[in-house]
Amino acid sequence: MTTRSIAALSLLLVLSLALGACGGSTAQPAPASDATAATGQKPATLILGAYTTPREAYGELIPIFRQLWQEQAGQDVVFEESYLGSGAQSRAIVEGFEADVTALSLEADVNRIQQAGLITGDWKNNPSNGMVSNSIVVFAVREGNPKGIQDWADLAKPGVQILTPNPKTSGGAMWNILALYGAALRGYVDGVPAGDEAAATEFMKAVFRNVTVMDKGARESITNFEKGVGDVAITYENEVLVAQQQGQSYDMVIPRSTILIENPLAVVDAYADKHGTRAIADAFVSFLLSRQAQEIFAQHGLRSVDSSVAEATQSQYPPVEDQFTIEYFGGWDQATPRFFGDEGVFTQALLDIQSQ
Amino acid sequence: MTPRPSLASARPVARPRRWLRRALVAVVLLYVGVLIVAPLAGLLHGALADGLGAALATFRDPQVQRAFGLTLRISLPVVVVQAVFGTAVAWMLVRDNFPGKRLINGLIDLPFAVSPVVVGYMLLLLFGRQGLLAPVLQALDIQVAFAVPGMVLATLFVTLPFMIRELAPILKAFGIQQEQAAATLGANGWTTFWRITLPALRWGFVYGITLTLARALGEFGAVLVIGGGIQGRTETATLYVYRALDERQYVSAYSAALALGAFSLLLVLGTEFLRRREEKKR
Repeated sequence: MTTRSIAALSLLLVLSLALGACGGSTAQPAPASDATAATGQKPATLILGAYTTPREAYGELIPIFRQLWQEQAGQDVVFEESYLGSGAQSRAIVEGFEADVTALSLEADVNRIQQAGLITGDWKNNPSNGMVSNSIVVFAVREGNPKGIQDWADLAKPGVQILTPNPKTSGGAMWNILALYGAALRGYVDGVPAGDEAAATEFMKAVFRNVTVMDKGARESITNFEKGVGDVAITYENEVLVAQQQGQSYDMVIPRSTILIENPLAVVDAYADKHGTRAIADAFVSFLLSRQAQEIFAQHGLRSVDSSVAEATQSQYPPVEDQFTIEYFGGWDQATPRFFGDEGVFTQALLDIQSQ
Repeated sequence: MTPRPSLASARPVARPRRWLRRALVAVVLLYVGVLIVAPLAGLLHGALADGLGAALATFRDPQVQRAFGLTLRISLPVVVVQAVFGTAVAWMLVRDNFPGKRLINGLIDLPFAVSPVVVGYMLLLLFGRQGLLAPVLQALDIQVAFAVPGMVLATLFVTLPFMIRELAPILKAFGIQQEQAAATLGANGWTTFWRITLPALRWGFVYGITLTLARALGEFGAVLVIGGGIQGRTETATLYVYRALDERQYVSAYSAALALGAFSLLLVLGTEFLRRREEKKR
């Protein structure tokens, strides 16, 4: 290779750079020229920062909302979506991922954004108290339930391999841990007397000794289960229902006692105002709470926060014998430090297991 | 280290016993087979599970095209920057003595040691909304985190050592005699660099660029953390693969992964081919 070929190589690089830049310009969301021509309105961009499990529901909901907004305001809305574990998504928004609307797994992750001063409005001021969907913590087991998993107590048996995500990044993981501990504390685990915190903690340790994989998010956890890892995945009910819709053939077991998962939805005021997208963001939130959207959530495995939709879909979503909420632990403000802080019950239990 | 000796022409000094040699060959084949060929075969099998048509359909999806476009838009500037600055750094490290040289020399290998996810968080601590540089960035209205500039920075960080570590040994082995000769014949510094030094460095250059590009194409953790994986905006090809797996679009995921892998493989094999051809000419 001579100097000339080096020059040629540099030229090639520059050319491909230019090519890359061109690719970049075509990569911008294509403006809907017909809409612009008809109304003179520029297409707007709405950024959604969500947790991992409702992505299929949003895949169906977003096109409907775009059409509604087109009819209502004569403007095209291009969506930019990001799906990460709830905790990771919440931290990304705090660090500057400018999502206009955020749909997370749990209220504590919205509170973090609020404490950073990015959510200033009263996001809980709506009929569903700020929540957009509900679910419960369940078990996914292999087809025919070969290990005979019926309830929480069975997860502590020797030789059962369990998947549950990592509570440092995943909201689902936090729900799972609270469901397990709550069921034990409420007397739904044999050998753990109701109200005995020490015994409930011991039971939690026994289960986590059987945990073989802790993934970043609930979706990753369940797809790893599908690839043949483990005997049980502790997960959202909607994860199992969506997987079954997509042709997966494992079974779902609902424990006698479990926690009601409540998923919040909020406009991130600081970013929506900065982008000038408040009207669209508010409209999107109202749409997601509408009966039409709630029915679509229900079709994607989520329990509705709309009482009439919840009633109509009751056969799909059987009631749980002993269902409790985060209020049982005094809300997230108390539950987060009590279980997941540095001195928290779960944090310490995990350290104990790892040092054994 | 001079330019790598071609593996094919290297002959064992003393022939080991026949059975030992056979056992060693078997170990090498097994080792490379299990670690590299088997996963590649699995990927190929997964991508073609629904036939070639389904695999190719992946690349007609605009989101996939955008993801690959973004990967190129990040990787190519990174290669150019590393080629220029990598050469400069290697030159200084070999030819000059300056205070802090040893420290710099050690720091250059840091990207080998630090997990890419940590690199992403390091950049967030610097460029995030609550980061150290946040006031400056806000005043200048520059978006680094959760945007392409941050992803370029992350990729620059993880690819830093390759160019330098390829070039420095060659510069050292090449010495300065030819450059001195050129100078005595009246060539100025620039001519000497362009006509004498650069041609001597060419294979280090090519290998450096190949490794840098291959590493940049494959980066995942750092660009996920600093970019946020926003579909259509900060989603690179590797992040698309990750998302498609989450969405259970396995054929798309495996096809995109296979394309990335095949491109890197072609890059490495192409370099090796060029080198062989030149050796034959001599």
